[in-house]
Amino acid sequence: MDKARSAIAIVLSYIVLTAYAVLSVYPFLWMVSSALKSNQEVLGSRSLIPQEVRFDIIVNTWNQLDFFRYFVNSVLVSVLVVSGIILVYSMAGFGFARTKFVGNRVLFICFLGLLFVPGVTVLVPLVQLLRALGLIGRDAGQGATYFGLIMPIVNGAGPFSIFLFKNYFASLPSELHDAARVDGASQWGVYWRIYMPLSTPVIATVGILNFIGTWNAFIWPSIVLNNPDWFTLPLKLKDLDLQIVIQWNVRMAGSLIMVIPVIVVFLFLQRYYIRGLTAGAVKA
Amino acid sequence: MTQVPIAAKSPKPVARRRSSLLRALKANSGFLFVLPALIIFVVFGLYTVIYSIVLSFFRWNGFGKFSILPLACEPPACQFAGLDNFAYFLYKEPTMSRFFWQALQHNIIMAIFVTAGTVLVALPLAISLNRAARGQSMYRLLIMLPMVTAGIAVYYVWMFIYEPDGLLNSALGAAGLNFLQAKQGWLGQADRALISLMIVMIWAAVPIATILYLAGLQTIEKELYEAAVIDGASVWQQLWRITWPLLLPVTVVVIITSINSVLQGYEMVYLMTYGGPAAHTEVVGLQIFKYGFGDQRQLGMASAMSWALFVLVFAVALVNLRLLRTRTEP
Repeated sequence: MDKARSAIAIVLSYIVLTAYAVLSVYPFLWMVSSALKSNQEVLGSRSLIPQEVRFDIIVNTWNQLDFFRYFVNSVLVSVLVVSGIILVYSMAGFGFARTKFVGNRVLFICFLGLLFVPGVTVLVPLVQLLRALGLIGRDAGQGATYFGLIMPIVNGAGPFSIFLFKNYFASLPSELHDAARVDGASQWGVYWRIYMPLSTPVIATVGILNFIGTWNAFIWPSIVLNNPDWFTLPLKLKDLDLQIVIQWNVRMAGSLIMVIPVIVVFLFLQRYYIRGLTAGAVKA
Repeated sequence: MTQVPIAAKSPKPVARRRSSLLRALKANSGFLFVLPALIIFVVFGLYTVIYSIVLSFFRWNGFGKFSILPLACEPPACQFAGLDNFAYFLYKEPTMSRFFWQALQHNIIMAIFVTAGTVLVALPLAISLNRAARGQSMYRLLIMLPMVTAGIAVYYVWMFIYEPDGLLNSALGAAGLNFLQAKQGWLGQADRALISLMIVMIWAAVPIATILYLAGLQTIEKELYEAAVIDGASVWQQLWRITWPLLLPVTVVVIITSINSVLQGYEMVYLMTYGGPAAHTEVVGLQIFKYGFGDQRQLGMASAMSWALFVLVFAVALVNLRLLRTRTEP
């Protein structure tokens, strides 16, 4: 009786999982399939398998729309944002978790307070600030504009990243820290040589979260980037809307180009990511 | 006797003071780890927050000069407005306040249904995942995919799904449910647009919630269920008396992050409907954006409205945290 019941439960579980997995993946499958079809077939057919596989659409999208340029821009911005976040906030997390200084707790709470300020609140002031600093506007170069684009994203990621790093570092045994100090390591040495190498899960978590966020970011870059040559992929993709007739297959080819790098990064790091995320959040 | 330390103290007071200063600096040297984060925080966080607070008491169309250090505001483009901005969108100006309350209503509807939907989908999924020993990592990967591919690329797919002759309508037609079809498209029809957006939001929020629930489930000890079975508890009783209460902390995290992101978020709405049709999917964040960057800029209004949003976000978070504390501490 019990065995029968648990067998039913397991079968039921697989049914639930399979059903949801289809829902979950279907939009993505449709994206892939439409990128390989002619526009008429996208509009007319409901089959996921193209009648004739058209790789030329992706190739043409990549070439004619000069996607390589925007791809490089996106990679540049995302990599700079992610490495900045990991460096600055792992340091801060270590400072909060493993060093003592006056105002440690108060400062930490100040940082967390920023979590509740809606992003849209500071959009207008940020633009004014960047303008005053000469980072955006007609005279600003690509480097300056990218700096202006990147820093607020880094700052926006601050509270949650500090929170995750601090929790993770605090979960490592403090004997590590004390023993290294007794052996004569400096605080910096402890952070860089001992704590950071042990922190792959949390680095992966913070890295992936912010890579995805920055890679997909639309509104903030659309405000800051006024030169179409500096656009990131999402902005370029949105530009396709300006065509008179929507080419759904081109749109989907562009979308696919945009989505693939994230999936690749995610596949490589997902194991760590899940561990880091759950360690931080479940503890909280 | 007592003179000895005094005598010892007197010769080099300067050196002593310096060494104690040095010691104080050394004791606080951990501060240096936080310094880079703090500088970024002050410039791009604190400064802009203060700017926004100050700006909310002014009327400014974006032309001419406005700065807070020193405070400069040149009429007629910019004028001190006191609490006018707040009064206008809260009750004084009929059109403006109607739009605001309507948008807020949409935010609240979304917060409730998206959060409830996320929990109701993610929890059974996580329980199923936890049971599925074989294929668990594959299913987990498939379920997590929406999280990775969020953003404009996936919104395009959903927009096609929702088109008048899109996938959803044809699926409904094939199932013989023609009466459910949205003839003008799911995003184009006033009575369907909001729910269509909420479905995408739930779809995008389920992955993280599922992973968090799964992690929570894996911390629950099997003995609890075994004991419950011996005591003759039904599956429902186990779920209701063991799983649900023990997962409550996870649920609170899921609820807080979900409500927070629904109240603050507007990018998806911006890209998929821009608040349409006829303001039926307007949300507060998008309205603030339009006051800040739209055709007729009222930057003070944008700031004032965003502080109203902050109060709401903060209040909800406080209530949730209080609930968590009272529920988990006996």
